[in-house]
Amino acid sequence: MTEVPTTEPLFIPALWLDGETAAVHEVLLILEDDANGILILEGKTERDAWPYADLRIVPDVAGPDQMILSVQGEETARLIVSAHDAGLIRARAANLRRRPPLRQKGKLAAWALAAVGSVALIIFGLVPLMANQLAAFLPPAGEKALGDATLTQIRQALDETGYGELPLCETTDGLAALRTIEARLTANADLPIEITVQVLDHEMVNAFALPGGYIVVFRGLLEKAESPEEVAAVLAHEMGHVSARDPSRIALRSAGSIGVLGLLFGDFAGGAMVLFITNRIIQADYTREAEANADLYAHDLLRRSDLPPSAIATFFERLRAEGNEDDTSILRHFMSHPALGDRIAAARAATPEGQVTVPLLEPAEWKALKYICD
Amino acid sequence: MPPPLRVVQPPPVPPQRPVHVEPTEFQTEFVGSRGRLFGLALWTGLLTILTLGFYRFWMKTRLRRWYWSGIRPGGLPLEYTGTGIEKMMGFLVAVVVMAFYIGIVNLVLMFVSFSLLANNFAAYAVSLAGVVPIWFYARYRARRYILSRTRWRGIRFGMEPGAWGYAGRALMHWVITILSLGLLWPRMTFWLEKYRTDRTSFGSVRLVQGGRWQMLYRPFLDVAVPVLGTVILFAYMRFTGDGIDGNLPLFWLLVPLGLWFSIGIVNYSVKATKRLADTKTAGDIGLIAQPRTGTVFRIYSVGYLLTSIAMLVPLVPLTILFGLMQIQRMQAGLGEASDLAHLFDLPRWLLIIVGLVLYFGVFLSWSVLRHVFVTMPLWRHYAQTITVTGVPGLTNVHQRARDTSTEAEGFAEALDLGAAI
Ligand SMILES: [Zn+2]
Repeated sequence: MTEVPTTEPLFIPALWLDGETAAVHEVLLILEDDANGILILEGKTERDAWPYADLRIVPDVAGPDQMILSVQGEETARLIVSAHDAGLIRARAANLRRRPPLRQKGKLAAWALAAVGSVALIIFGLVPLMANQLAAFLPPAGEKALGDATLTQIRQALDETGYGELPLCETTDGLAALRTIEARLTANADLPIEITVQVLDHEMVNAFALPGGYIVVFRGLLEKAESPEEVAAVLAHEMGHVSARDPSRIALRSAGSIGVLGLLFGDFAGGAMVLFITNRIIQADYTREAEANADLYAHDLLRRSDLPPSAIATFFERLRAEGNEDDTSILRHFMSHPALGDRIAAARAATPEGQVTVPLLEPAEWKALKYICD
Repeated sequence: MPPPLRVVQPPPVPPQRPVHVEPTEFQTEFVGSRGRLFGLALWTGLLTILTLGFYRFWMKTRLRRWYWSGIRPGGLPLEYTGTGIEKMMGFLVAVVVMAFYIGIVNLVLMFVSFSLLANNFAAYAVSLAGVVPIWFYARYRARRYILSRTRWRGIRFGMEPGAWGYAGRALMHWVITILSLGLLWPRMTFWLEKYRTDRTSFGSVRLVQGGRWQMLYRPFLDVAVPVLGTVILFAYMRFTGDGIDGNLPLFWLLVPLGLWFSIGIVNYSVKATKRLADTKTAGDIGLIAQPRTGTVFRIYSVGYLLTSIAMLVPLVPLTILFGLMQIQRMQAGLGEASDLAHLFDLPRWLLIIVGLVLYFGVFLSWSVLRHVFVTMPLWRHYAQTITVTGVPGLTNVHQRARDTSTEAEGFAEALDLGAAI
């Protein structure tokens, strides 16, 4: 070894943590320009040599007065250098900020896959499967309670004052007209549960079914409908959902999947929002398959009740022509596939040639229903 | 392995050496400025939002590195060596296990609760009860993980496995505490801390939690007495028939009782921390903690006040935006148009983006400012008031092996026990 330095070596005072004991060694670091690393000198003894290329800086250190160094290959040893001398080291060590290579990539990927896989399996497989099975066993009283709870939540959520609940519409004449439509349909339907049709005072053009046989129609829908047959067609569709116990399935299903999604997204800002949106998507996905069946049920029920299934086609066509998609959320509900156009066509096709229909309401009764919220 | 020793020439001019005399006691200093922390928390928080939350493992890692390195007992900083990747791995492991549990159990409980009891409160209660043991398990695992990734003077801390034992004991202590109407709360605080401490090591040296649970009783009185007072007050008003409006002066007694209670609960936390720290030993090494209730109470109240005020920066425009959109919608509904509505003839997607930015801004400013105004001042106060005694005992401390369990704090993360850092 040639020990003739070409330039004067630099001496930097430092603290050295040996990584084996809790002792703190006062050392001198020898920085020679033609050497390829730092020599750590304690007293007259050389304790270690750290190659410049292997030096790393300990990141995110709070104290601006110190630079803490580690070296590749030694996990616990550290050098603490005053910030005054940090520049001397920076000038010589090129890889100070290089990150450690990512270890166990395969293992990480495997767990990531396992996590995504198990969540998918649970949300799209196990939970719907169990929800479908269990929904059939939910006793009527339990289903009713579930529906009550959900209806209260919906009424609170839609109430624009922010407190209280969205009012129910129940003028005497209006209710009587509603009961007439209801009676015509239920006489020909064999539902597993008694249905309760209610009108909510909201401009949304929509209707939906809840667990426990609740069917909710918004005022907006009654206003847009131009004949009682159109209202009956919407009710028949919702009764299709009730008959299939779809609402109970959705309720049970969201109970299972909301928790799992919360687990996945954690508490990051707005996690609740992502959660909500994701759950909505899942629900919509769920209703798609149910929609077609509800349609078939409705066509059959309407025919048996001497009502024209084509009424729903007329109603949707009018809504679509108005193109006011913003507040016609019913279009979105019905827009899930099969595509709206196909459904309109299917409703027409389900209407027998020369069907003899029996009128549903007297003009006065129809007027009372339209103004049920006044 | 130490390198071969050889003698070299002494330096021609000995430069100034760092004065590092080891006394028998170490004071602790806290270094680190609010500005740096603000920058770090803001940047990592932003990355977390942009990555839909997945950067949070790295955010937590980087913030911990900062907080740890800010504490310097005897002038030498703590070091946090955890990594983001191991946290993410632990989280994924926890998700695999917990997804089954939460998904299926929640669904079945909801079903059972509605079919048998016709309501969902029972489901929530049972579901919660099912998660509680896992919650304690997760707490222990999280502490073990953090300790195993903490070093001082190059020496690792560590904690023995024992999370299920901890969960069992925690459940037992909770039952006892509830049966005693909360009066045995300090007993629970003490024994759970003792379980954790007695399994903790600094390098080769075991920690021991000394003292007895009764030493926590004096500070507990400031929690128990106001609660008791409130109960008596309500019982009296009930008994005498003086309703809330019937006897207003009596009702006003709740204000001092509430204040007493909130100071009492902070005081209990501060004093319990102090007394439990003072009675911890690791060989000859000990601690003296002198945190002050007044300071901690002030940090909490002023800190959260400042945080809330600063939150208004994104919150006010967000509210205005929503308000204007509402007005615009109502006017559209009435078929009217005004200048105000034209102001918002901007494309809808732009409004949505602005709204989203403001929405996340609210969350971001809350978490960042809480670091700056609450967490960091608390951290600093607790650090600055701690003294390490029996420093010569450090000569007996040797390195311990690395804790290689990969679960990190995944369960705590999955169950959202993360807290501030
Ligand atoms: Zn439908």
